Amino acid sequence: MNQKRSSVAPIVFAALLPIIILVTIDIYLNSHFHNESFKRFGNAILTSYVIVGIILIGNLFFYADSRHRPMAPFVGMIFALAIGLLIGWALISNDDLLLEANSGLRAQMLSNIVHFLVSGTAMALASVLAIGATFAAITGRERGLLFEEE
Amino acid sequence: MLISPLVAAISMNPMLDAAIWFWVPLCAIPLGIWLSVSGKSKFWGKFLAVIGLILVMISSWTVPESDSSAGGHLILTISAPTILMCWGIQGMIFGGNVPVGRLDSSARWSGAVATFGAIGIFCLMHWYNLTPVWRDGLVNPFWIVFWPTFLLFSTSLCSAAALALKLYGSNRSTESLKLLFLSILMSVVAIMAMIFDGYLTTAAEFRDYLWLAAADIFGTLVGISLAIAAFAVVIWSYENSLSEPQDSSPPSPEEIEHVVSLAVSNIGGEEE
Repeated sequence: MNQKRSSVAPIVFAALLPIIILVTIDIYLNSHFHNESFKRFGNAILTSYVIVGIILIGNLFFYADSRHRPMAPFVGMIFALAIGLLIGWALISNDDLLLEANSGLRAQMLSNIVHFLVSGTAMALASVLAIGATFAAITGRERGLLFEEE
Repeated sequence: MLISPLVAAISMNPMLDAAIWFWVPLCAIPLGIWLSVSGKSKFWGKFLAVIGLILVMISSWTVPESDSSAGGHLILTISAPTILMCWGIQGMIFGGNVPVGRLDSSARWSGAVATFGAIGIFCLMHWYNLTPVWRDGLVNPFWIVFWPTFLLFSTSLCSAAALALKLYGSNRSTESLKLLFLSILMSVVAIMAMIFDGYLTTAAEFRDYLWLAAADIFGTLVGISLAIAAFAVVIWSYENSLSEPQDSSPPSPEEIEHVVSLAVSNIGGEEE
């Protein structure tokens, strides 16, 4: 049987290519970089890190029965989460580094959570569309014979 | 409008209202999912998650003064095309050659119509008067966050899936082309939105938010990766810190004798 050996790099490139093309068209039409995108990038990193960290701590709590609920991983994850919150607090409150169109630290953090909810929904729906379309394409073909009769 | 007067009557302060009617229900959604998935309380978990989701979706009526309720309002307004899309995709998958749960072959066509219909509804929400309107006739501020993020991410994923099918699959060129078509379709919709004004949003606004959507996607993926990496490091270091499990002592002669007697009583049978 002919085994195909392929790396992941072309697929990552295929995922990035449409975004690069659309952003290039955007630059061509807009003829300037969007300064706020760096703030959005930073806020998205910190928010998703903290929220996914909380979800993973929840998983530790619910799935740790077989290990007699050890405290060390909890403390470790809470420490990792605290570092994320601390960095977020420092960057938002210090010198307007990550503060977007919000009145202060608390407003920015709450806005980040709702923003994550919306962009996460958009990404989840896009994933449903892409993965669903992939499976629909795969199951759409007539099933071929695995073995021919001798 | 049915709920607002009641809420106004017992209103204490805007922060507390927002906490009770938006943030607590929002926290109840993952908590309910956790309870349901972990099997500790399946019914109450689902109940909590559904109630939380409903309260978040109607938050623009329960706490209209809270800016956060725009997120709930957006989820409510996109729920119809989202359900239509999920139903369509389910029909497209299970109307094909699947070993279990196969639907009638007409489900593929009706599924395809529903999926493209849902994409069409999203387009109408941008270019026609279906745009989510939040306060004072203004567009929901999160619509312009959702729409470019959805377009950009679906274009990207469909393109990656098309190449993955071509590279890893055997004789999958036709399927790969279908996904490439979908990716190009979503790109064309995004380019159209960059050029032509929407019903309540301008093309310039969309172009600005496309930048932010790209930043959002990369930032979210990096943040999730960092959280998973931190989790892996914590678990790895904990498992590493555990002492080696002690070897159990070899079986005693009595235990061996017992095992042999069990084996002997189960081996044999009448010859045919």
